[in-house]
Amino acid sequence: MLRTTLAGLLAHKLRLLLTSLAITLGVGFIGGTFVLTDTIEVGFQQKFTADAEKVDVAVRSKEDDEIPAELLAKIRAVPGVTDAQGLLGGPAPLLGRNGKAVGNVPTTGISIATGTLARTTVTSGVGPTRPTDAILDENTAKTRQFAIGDTITVLDPEGGKHDFTLVGLFDVGVDQWLAYTGAVGFTAETAQRMTAAKGYREINIAGPNPESLRDAVAALTGPGYRVQTGTELADELARASNIEAGYFRLFLLIFGLIAMFVAALVIYNTFNILVAQRTREMALLRCIGATRTQVFGSIVIESVVVAVLSSALGLVVGLGLGAGALAVLGQLGAPMPTDAPISLKPLTIVVSLLVGMVVTVGAALFPARAATRVPPVAALRSQLEEPTFRAGLVRMIFAGLFLLAGAAVTAIGVTMENGDTALVAVVAGGAVTFLGVLVVSPVLMRPLAAVAGWLPRRLFGVPGRLAVDNSQRNPKRAATTTVALTIGVTLMTLISVVTSTTRESVQAQLDKQFPVDFIVTDQRGPEGSGLPSALAAALRQSPELGTVIETQLTTAKLNGQERVVMNLPSGPETRPTVTEGSFDALTPGTIAVGKQLASAKKLKLGDTVPLATTEAGTVNVRLTALFDEEDVDQAQAILPEADFKRYFGSPGAAAVYVSAKHGVATDVARRAVEAVALPYPTAQVASAAEIRGEFDEALDMVLMIFGGLLGLAVLISILGIANTLSLSVHERTHESALVRALGLTRGQLRGMLSLEALVLGLIGALIGVVLGTVFGWAAMKSMPIETTFTVPAGQILLLIALSGLAGVLAATLPARRAARASIVDALAAA
Amino acid sequence: MTILTEVQHAVVATGLTKVYGQGDAAVHALRGIDVGFATGAFTAIMGPSGSGKSTLMHCLAGLDSVTGGTVTIGNTEITGLSDKQLTLLRRDRIGFVFQAFNLLPTLTAEQNIRLPLDIAGRQADQVLLDRVIETLGLGDRLGHRPSQLSGGQQQRVAVARALISKPQVIFADEPTGNLDSRSGAEVLSFLRRSVRELGQTIVMVTHDPGAASYADRVIFLRDGLLVTEVTSPTPQTVLDTLLKLEA
Repeated sequence: MLRTTLAGLLAHKLRLLLTSLAITLGVGFIGGTFVLTDTIEVGFQQKFTADAEKVDVAVRSKEDDEIPAELLAKIRAVPGVTDAQGLLGGPAPLLGRNGKAVGNVPTTGISIATGTLARTTVTSGVGPTRPTDAILDENTAKTRQFAIGDTITVLDPEGGKHDFTLVGLFDVGVDQWLAYTGAVGFTAETAQRMTAAKGYREINIAGPNPESLRDAVAALTGPGYRVQTGTELADELARASNIEAGYFRLFLLIFGLIAMFVAALVIYNTFNILVAQRTREMALLRCIGATRTQVFGSIVIESVVVAVLSSALGLVVGLGLGAGALAVLGQLGAPMPTDAPISLKPLTIVVSLLVGMVVTVGAALFPARAATRVPPVAALRSQLEEPTFRAGLVRMIFAGLFLLAGAAVTAIGVTMENGDTALVAVVAGGAVTFLGVLVVSPVLMRPLAAVAGWLPRRLFGVPGRLAVDNSQRNPKRAATTTVALTIGVTLMTLISVVTSTTRESVQAQLDKQFPVDFIVTDQRGPEGSGLPSALAAALRQSPELGTVIETQLTTAKLNGQERVVMNLPSGPETRPTVTEGSFDALTPGTIAVGKQLASAKKLKLGDTVPLATTEAGTVNVRLTALFDEEDVDQAQAILPEADFKRYFGSPGAAAVYVSAKHGVATDVARRAVEAVALPYPTAQVASAAEIRGEFDEALDMVLMIFGGLLGLAVLISILGIANTLSLSVHERTHESALVRALGLTRGQLRGMLSLEALVLGLIGALIGVVLGTVFGWAAMKSMPIETTFTVPAGQILLLIALSGLAGVLAATLPARRAARASIVDALAAA
Repeated sequence: MTILTEVQHAVVATGLTKVYGQGDAAVHALRGIDVGFATGAFTAIMGPSGSGKSTLMHCLAGLDSVTGGTVTIGNTEITGLSDKQLTLLRRDRIGFVFQAFNLLPTLTAEQNIRLPLDIAGRQADQVLLDRVIETLGLGDRLGHRPSQLSGGQQQRVAVARALISKPQVIFADEPTGNLDSRSGAEVLSFLRRSVRELGQTIVMVTHDPGAASYADRVIFLRDGLLVTEVTSPTPQTVLDTLLKLEA
């Protein structure tokens, strides 16, 4: 029996290859994910170990507060401490060659430890030793075109300019924050002056015997501090990064599982067709004495062989994918270690092989059971019966139950209070509904094929008609083939609905937040000293500009917690929407807070809350209005203008809103704004259009990433279509020969199969688009933000067109084979 | 071959050879056949298994390429035509009736009958269509699919399909091979009536002496050569000739 199975497999290498490819790709993706994340984890561990090993004991605050400088002096006095240095950091905006602060956020200034405790990797030049020395991270130096020996200018917290000599370049390693902001390194004293840090982030200690040193230091610092040896610190940092890598892995694995599910459908379908085609072969085996168990076994063995081969191959593909992804990440300069040796853990091998085996063999079990039902007498029948399909009562009941349950759960998710639970309900509802669609899909095939085939049937004559008929022939097979594609299309539609709805909603929100042409902000944010009022005054003088409105932001403890507080902007158009009360009631001694904050803290109009101010001590303010936080950039509370000045002095404007005078071209107005802002290094000018553009780009990026990751599932489903078609072509050898004999040209026959695939692709897309749109809407409904539901018609049409095209592409090889077959041979095979 | 000059021929083969494979493995299926098939006549091709009768039919119908010699259908020499030209020739000028798998399972009987015309984009001759359908007794079966028809009905649909495009010649390959004797006799009678009444030219390959006896003339092949022929055959004369050949 085994020999028969193996001989059969070898006789159909191409079929074996196509079937295996689906599993190979899925397993490859999963294996690749593990290889990638494992390698990154190993890299993190190596980096942290190498970094922290230079330190014998490290002291950090448990509360993330700064460590007072006095503690460093005390630690230096501990017996056994040979050296102790404090590490500190804070915003220290680097000015670019144009005199403006670089980047969207200020560069981070850090202190560079020296001697045995030097942890920074200086890649060229030397570390800072004199107060006028500074070093830059390599990336910033490169993008801002600074070289060793240049003079660089950095702003102190008050905005004063200080010049430094660039003496070296360094590598920020795996520190993601420094990689994002860019970093400038000074000696400890200079760093303290430039960042106005009151204390240290961390104290590093050198000395013999780290364990006893740790205990001695811990005894000194007391319970408010975490005192660890270098090794302990490295382990903890690596653990934290492993959790991050773990999320990354989980994210990728979700797509791997989707791909495997699609692959399972493809395998199920393939084996089903194989069994159907070999009915006579099975019957013959039964005639000559094979038992049901043996027939079952032969199919299972076939699936095991496919599983082993494709899973092993998948593992190899996974290694390649993992290595490739690392190379790409390395090229892109991602702040993660990509140079560690490729890591292939035993767990990766076990998981990859196991997933491949379970999915393949599991998917083949149902077809194998169907094979045992072939009666021996089928061997004697001359012509195989055309499979008939009727929508059975059981099927309809199950489909109805699933669809009802799915719709109910989704409806609950949509109507319940927004939040995580609602989203989970929608996701669960989506999954159940999808099961319902899976069950009911064979019933949908004929009507949908009629819809999708309406045009081909009329445009392409006999080949078109035959193609549409053929696509309706075996609804079960067509359903499984197209549902595989539906999964990818559904998710793509969903993502595109969600992104376009987000885009539309955020644009509307941005219009409210920035009802002006330009906004000038302080790069240092609410912590900075703000933009001087001279800037706003100068803007008002400019003949090209119309409205100029200043808003002031500060952070203050409201009701005991740090909040961003804003003064009430003078122009009504820049004020947020009031949801309760009124800004007219915002008289001295009152406050308005955001409605989300109010509901989270159970605050209502008339409540009195304490506000810690810098100029007037703690004052009690009465709540007179609630506003919509989404309408403003970051403020959570709003004070009357006079009160703001009384409580916090004049901190400088956090943002200045500027509109061009009527009739002045945008670029002219922009140049005017920039000219005024030039003397203020941290004043950043942005147009409303740019802010929208940045947001658009971010959303496009999300769309691309999801598209890329879902691409695998789509690719596998295309393989499924190709496989189904090639098996159908094989089944219909006689029919193809007959129509060729009757006068269908090779081209027409190829066209006929392409059209059949087109119809299949379109059906898959139609179901997917409907599901994706409905659940995209439901998902957005369950989000705790107000949204304007938008259907990205262009993207969806493109998706449908691409699905059709994918089908046609999948038909290429089977169609060529069918067209090339000799008519005489095909007829003789009867 | 005096016969070639005396009557009008629908199909003529001269010096037809067909070799499968190469070198030692070469099989000479046809070794040089000269034969003509008269217009408006029903000719049967007979011969023992492996005599080359199916190969001859495939070559005559342009389904298979020839190794040497020529085949002419009407005024067209088909040897040397491209695949596309051959396809169009089959579509417009040849009808087929095969032993099995004659019909497309997705189409109804009527759609199957009209298929060659549809492929060619031609209109059916409604008078002819009605007459053929009536003659073949398919009137109440037109909306049925092949799976709902008996074997005999299926072959009658195939015959109707072959007749409807008024081809220069119909090639029938064991058209009764899968039928019981009564259904077979019906199909053969229809084939003969279409020759008598419609002037159709039919070339039929068969191994059944009874089926061959419906023809006007039977030609006999052995080992890829045309060996003899019988005109106005009866089952007995055909059987006798066959026995002589195999002896």
